[in-house]
Amino acid sequence: MTRILKVVALVLGLLCLAAAGQVLARLRDPDFDHLKHQRLFPQCQSCHVGAVTPGFAIYPTAESCTACHDGQIEKKVAWEPRSAPLATNLKFSHGQHATEVVARAGRDSTVQCISCHTRNNAPRMEVQHAVVRQCLDCHGQSQSHLALADSACSTCHLTLAEATTLPVERVAAFPVPESHRQPEFVLKGHGRMANAGGSRSPVPSSCATCHARDFCTECHVDALEQRAIQALAVDARSLAHPAKLAAPPSHDRHDFIVRHGADAKQDAMTCRTCHTRESCTACHAVEPRAATALARAGVGRGAGAQIVRKRPATHVADFKENHKSLATASPRTCTACHTRTECLDCHRPNAASVGGYHPAGFLTRHPAAAYAREASCADCHSTTGFCAACHQQSGLVAERTLRPGFHDAKKFFLIGHGQAARQSLETCVGCHTERDCLTCHSAQGGRRFNPHGPGFDADRLKRKNPEMCTACHGVAIP
Amino acid sequence: MTLRAGCLALLSLSSAMVATGHAQQYRLRLDSRFQSVSFRGVALDSVPAAATVLVGGSRQTADGFAVSCLTGDTFCFFFRPGAIQTARPSVTSVAGTLWGLGVPGLSVRGDARVAMDLGDAEVLPGTNPAVQLLEGYVEYATDRWTGRLGRQVYTSRLGFTGFDGARFTARMVNRQVEVDGYLGWGLARGSALPVTSAALNPLDDFQPHQRQLVAGLGAGWNHRFGDLRLEYQREVDPQSSYFVSDRAAAATSIRLSSRLSLNAGAEYDLAMARWGTTDATLRFFQRTWSATAGFTRYRPHFELWTIWGAFSPVGYSAVNGSVSVSPVAGLSVRARGSRFWFEDTETDTPLVTVEDRGWRVNVGATYSPSESFSFNLDHDTEFGPGASSASIDGGVTYLPARDLSLTLHAGRLRRPLEFRFNDATLRMFGLDADWRFSDRWRASASASRFMEKRDRPDASAFDWNQTRLSVQLSVMLGSDAGHQSLPPAVRSTDRPAK
Repeated sequence: MTRILKVVALVLGLLCLAAAGQVLARLRDPDFDHLKHQRLFPQCQSCHVGAVTPGFAIYPTAESCTACHDGQIEKKVAWEPRSAPLATNLKFSHGQHATEVVARAGRDSTVQCISCHTRNNAPRMEVQHAVVRQCLDCHGQSQSHLALADSACSTCHLTLAEATTLPVERVAAFPVPESHRQPEFVLKGHGRMANAGGSRSPVPSSCATCHARDFCTECHVDALEQRAIQALAVDARSLAHPAKLAAPPSHDRHDFIVRHGADAKQDAMTCRTCHTRESCTACHAVEPRAATALARAGVGRGAGAQIVRKRPATHVADFKENHKSLATASPRTCTACHTRTECLDCHRPNAASVGGYHPAGFLTRHPAAAYAREASCADCHSTTGFCAACHQQSGLVAERTLRPGFHDAKKFFLIGHGQAARQSLETCVGCHTERDCLTCHSAQGGRRFNPHGPGFDADRLKRKNPEMCTACHGVAIP
Repeated sequence: MTLRAGCLALLSLSSAMVATGHAQQYRLRLDSRFQSVSFRGVALDSVPAAATVLVGGSRQTADGFAVSCLTGDTFCFFFRPGAIQTARPSVTSVAGTLWGLGVPGLSVRGDARVAMDLGDAEVLPGTNPAVQLLEGYVEYATDRWTGRLGRQVYTSRLGFTGFDGARFTARMVNRQVEVDGYLGWGLARGSALPVTSAALNPLDDFQPHQRQLVAGLGAGWNHRFGDLRLEYQREVDPQSSYFVSDRAAAATSIRLSSRLSLNAGAEYDLAMARWGTTDATLRFFQRTWSATAGFTRYRPHFELWTIWGAFSPVGYSAVNGSVSVSPVAGLSVRARGSRFWFEDTETDTPLVTVEDRGWRVNVGATYSPSESFSFNLDHDTEFGPGASSASIDGGVTYLPARDLSLTLHAGRLRRPLEFRFNDATLRMFGLDADWRFSDRWRASASASRFMEKRDRPDASAFDWNQTRLSVQLSVMLGSDAGHQSLPPAVRSTDRPAK
């Protein structure tokens, strides 16, 4: 138990130390301890002459410090005034600000250094970087910093492109305004905001403070047509803000693939934000009419939505076998994504093709599929030119004379084949000719077996094509 | 003759158009394929009845072949294993469209094949005649109507109807209604050849002397809630003016909701006065699963210049369904099945009993744990009249690069027959490779080893082992005024959609 208490105490102690360090770090300038020197320097401008007098340096020289910190009076310190420009996107100038304050409020203005650099009621030398809230209060802005009106940003800030000293890490660390977190902001809000200024002010300063054209073209394929985007300068640092193109909720609709054509016809301008014509032709074999409202991919445009061709929801597991009704009822729907060549590849088979519609090894399996007509073979194969030709090569045809022995699993098949033949006459035709059947089924010779069965309408057939009748009956058709 | 004339006319027209010097644009697919495959059938033989021996109650030849002898015949017949025949078909396809011919809306389309068998003989069907024109027509299209002239394939509920002639399509009522009419000299069903072609009559059967005239009308109505299409087609023998076929059909697709659709179609044979193939399928689809339930009534169709229709072939009815579930990302499990039964044949065959009903079941799964790997397993079983089969197939696909896929597959199949002692057992394995080495080029190759054993209780049993090879090389070419690249959808026409 004691051991646990010790550990807890140690952890708490470490946490307190860390917190104290944080507080001290905030209170004290890491380079110069203002509080420690508060009695020595009653006025800020003693050291920071440039803060009130334009043209003078804002920071004291090293010699100012060594006057005391010479190693004898006080220990030596290392201090060099900043020579490089400040890495900031503020367009604030202390001297100019002071001059303007005096010009507006008079020499007795109460605006002093501490008005900005200390929190309310804090000791005079407990200085820090300008307290933004106090700047805003002075300027009559009651809203929070990131919720200010568009025009307010330019009061203090440069545009991103103008803030050339700002490193990309600082750009990446820009705080995100609350407006950007609104659910509609990506889809609609940011567009409205960017175009709020109308034609006179093509892009609000609020956008340009943090963003440049490069950021917009991360998503916008219509960047070249968007005035607000073109008004922004080019600056690769804007890419420090990650932009991820997300599909709008409408695209999650289950029937989106089927319905998007109608949507596009209705309002193609909405599509053109994220889609180029190439989006359409990723799936559409022929460029649809609505695509003409879209731009072609090119320099200065974002990559936009990258379309991957997917099966529509209607193309379920057995679609290959059962697409006939859909394809014949809605041929225009098919032609949106498929070319005629694709249809003909299967429906007019290529002798040198392997696989395709039928699986590997189908040659061995095909008697089962063919006899029970799993699919209509004749849709793609000529019964004579394909089936009979191959069966002839394989010795499976009757060769004009019916011999016993082939259908050897049924001993009396020759005299009892009627049911099998009527069930799958298309299969019989793959090996047998009309002459084979007429050997027994002709009315003019042989055994004169009547082949007519259920549904046979002699009169009707005779009207339609009596030549068929003459094959068995000769000219004396009954 | 007509084919040659058509080709010449198209070539002349194309040349004339090209010569005009306008900004022609074209799209062309060249595709060469080759495969090597073996066949082994049977060879009819006979033996004097006196030379046969009785073994276990059955007659056999002296070397063990079971024979069939008719009472009173002096000879008995039997089938020996046939010789192994190897086919090596090579087919080059050219499919293209040419437009930008100086007249807006005018285009020329062609799809032809040049085939030859590099093996010993033309064993495999489809390589004779060597040049086959699938389509070749001139098209003029406006917003309201389209006209086509030449060899074309009309796709409808009644099938793929090929003909040499003209087709006119009119669109009206905001393009929601489409009316088609066509007329020409027909091609044979399932073929790019006319019915008079010798290649379609290998057994020297009765054959028409002239090509049939084919004419038809079609009308379609498209609406956001569904589509409807009606067809009428008539084929006539020009020599006798008798009908070759006279049929009508309807097909509809109704979108009942965003997740539910009904697809149905029916054919009616006006010549025979009876319904043809009819089917209706209800499809339900959701993000993670889909299902179908349907009914089919199949009835074979024969042209009236054959006698087969007079033999009263019967159809079958079937109920079928399927379900596909994707319980987790990358995994898809599917099952489908059907039960079918033939109509009453009204035959009396007491000595021979024949199955008149059957069923089919398929279960399978595909698992893709990553973009690079995909595993597939399928089991098919079917039982029915004539033949049955049971198979299991599996494969793994590996994509070492985005445009290269390698598939290793293996399977086993059993196929019992109902009417012949010739059950087969097949084992196979193979490797397929598909490489798209540029946006326009694609090469693929496959090698498979098949080990097939034909099971018979006599000497006719044989093994039919072989290695099948195939290679394919395709290129898509195209241009337009802006020198834009080909649409990705066209480049990937032969690539299965994900």
